[in-house]
Amino acid sequence: MYGGGYVFCEPDVHGQPDDPERLAEFEARIDRGEKIEPQDWMPYEYRRQLIRLIEQHAHSEIMGALPEGAWITRAPGFKRKLALIAKVQDEVGHAQLLYSAAETLGKSRADMVNDLLSGKSKYSNVFNYPAKTWADVTVIGFLIDAAAIVNQVANSKGSYGPYCRALERICYEESFHLKQGYDAFVALATGTKRQREMLQDAINRWYRPIIHFFGPPDNESVHSKQLMRWKVKMASNDEMRNQFLDAYVPKVLELGLTFPDPELRKDPQTGRWHYGDPDWAEFYRVINGDGPCNAERLSARRLAEENGRWIRQAIMNPQQKFTIPFA
Amino acid sequence: METADRHLLSTSVDPRLQRVQRHATEFHLLEQPEEWQTFEVFHQRRRGEHHVHVGSVHAPDAEMALVFAKEQFARRQQCASLWVVASAHIHSLGYQNEDMFATTTEKTYREASGYRLRHKIQAYKQSVQHESNS
Amino acid sequence: MNPIVELITKLGDDAFILGHRHSEWTGLGPILEEDIAMSSMAQDKIGHALALYTILHEQFGGPDPDTIGFLRNEKEFRCCHLVEYPNGEYDFTLVRHFLFDHAELLRYQLLRQSTFAPLARFAAKVMGELKYHVLHADSLMQRLALGNEESHARLQASLTEAFPLAAGIFEKSPYEDQLIAEGVFAGEALLQQQWLKEIEQRVQAWDLHLPEAREPLAGLGGRYGYHTPYLQPLLDELTSVFRSEENASW
Ligand SMILES: [Fe+2]
Ligand SMILES: [Fe+2]
Repeated sequence: MYGGGYVFCEPDVHGQPDDPERLAEFEARIDRGEKIEPQDWMPYEYRRQLIRLIEQHAHSEIMGALPEGAWITRAPGFKRKLALIAKVQDEVGHAQLLYSAAETLGKSRADMVNDLLSGKSKYSNVFNYPAKTWADVTVIGFLIDAAAIVNQVANSKGSYGPYCRALERICYEESFHLKQGYDAFVALATGTKRQREMLQDAINRWYRPIIHFFGPPDNESVHSKQLMRWKVKMASNDEMRNQFLDAYVPKVLELGLTFPDPELRKDPQTGRWHYGDPDWAEFYRVINGDGPCNAERLSARRLAEENGRWIRQAIMNPQQKFTIPFA
Repeated sequence: METADRHLLSTSVDPRLQRVQRHATEFHLLEQPEEWQTFEVFHQRRRGEHHVHVGSVHAPDAEMALVFAKEQFARRQQCASLWVVASAHIHSLGYQNEDMFATTTEKTYREASGYRLRHKIQAYKQSVQHESNS
Repeated sequence: MNPIVELITKLGDDAFILGHRHSEWTGLGPILEEDIAMSSMAQDKIGHALALYTILHEQFGGPDPDTIGFLRNEKEFRCCHLVEYPNGEYDFTLVRHFLFDHAELLRYQLLRQSTFAPLARFAAKVMGELKYHVLHADSLMQRLALGNEESHARLQASLTEAFPLAAGIFEKSPYEDQLIAEGVFAGEALLQQQWLKEIEQRVQAWDLHLPEAREPLAGLGGRYGYHTPYLQPLLDELTSVFRSEENASW
């Protein structure tokens, strides 16, 4: 799962200028609604930003496995335990699919993982918050997966073939995530007094990260025009956030639960949702490494890398070279 | 793993991480990170259908690629058979030569729809009828 | 205890506890593809436990599967010591998985002949999953054993630790003779014999060796409710949310 908090790179002034004729051809293809495939000519910036986008998405999946993974050993009952393992496994699977999609653009998974572990690459902010109780797992499974679906469905209509193909399968699995998350959420909401309190507390803590999930307001997002023209970025942050609030706020309210934001309301005239200031400074702090769990998440992934390294090295065939996959 | 890492993990809310005990080897990033080969995976849903390309896996050899592909690409969908082939062994004819796939000249001679006979037979029948009437 | 209930309880408990151990790797496993494979096997194992506890519930009037899995105390569990051990590093996880799943595959092959029909039906159903578990274990074990010096040494060290514990898989039940006489299960002794052949053959081909001297009681006691110090903390964690609120549904 991944939100709209993409951090695109600054345009590279040293990049070679694109051949105007090929650029026109490329843009005409996108305008016709055709997909771009790995072997196609593509503008330098298109490739760079796409790698960045898909890589961040992949990192977010693998980091997203951590907060919920913390509850696998404690999930209450067979149904929840099996569903949670399957769900977290899917997230690892999503990372696998997305790393492959990014690899088609010429950056190997190993390089991407290295950039993640060194702190060079970003991933979704929302996974830098801890899942403190079982109720957090239900809030993540329901609301954050729901938010991720809004984002991923939009992205699946983008222009890059391998990314779209990966997202098609991902979106299919996300619908299971949402269902199982909603199911566990409703179980708490309709449960005992303590269960409801636990859930309300979790909602209170996750509300702000969820608002942050889609990224800063449109007027603060830089250089998204060209990326939208190239169908790299498919919907604006505010648009996606609004779509999410519209669909899911009522589902929480109907259960008698609340959001910790007195300003949250829908304008009946415009159909837009208003929300109180979610402290965007915090968003930038967290994305730059200073969130409650950034350091822990990175060390958990370093641990996983260490677990895998001796295995990979022991069965490395020196004759075989890594090839870019077709994905 | 670095001591700092170990300390961090011991304060995690994840009991699995709290338990991590490591010898004090220091984690380091690889300058030239190594990677297994990639294999393309083809999935057949039911007997009688085509194998369809569904993605790729990293693996040290084809057999391991199958072991991995089974869970990454056939854990949910119905599956009758899986193939893997090293990505390096795929040859493609495509996008740079897209014009080759375009049919510009008249090629209806190789389509079923290029052969319409009914009207001829109809005309013949009519002419025979006409003759016998006269 | 009814001999069949005892048998199914230990099968279920082995699968439940090992599946739980496997699932500790989910999201932290080595190499994404392997992480995914291990998570599948974790689900398979826990799924087997659920199916077996369901047989207890439906055929013998036992409590519902969640109660069996999450509300019994440590003494009531019948799992063997091997599955209780912490995961350690991935080499131990792999070697345990290799030793256990070869026994599991052979066991369910024998159980397909069981005169207790629900168990025979279940055995037929799990064959495919267990075949994959064994294929997975064999494929990785072979490559790592023959890999490089480090991987060989790691597997050998884990094998030396885990092999004696594996004897506990075959610890005889108090109703062994009765189960054999009634054709419910062909017996632990026969199973162990078949298993040892499979293991020895592979270990030899892979340049590993089984430890010589063994403590006679190593790995034993689990089938009678005597467990390693690892089981209680595992159960505390496993059931912490489930037990945190009485009469709640989750
Ligand atoms: Fe996902
Ligand atoms: Fe998800």
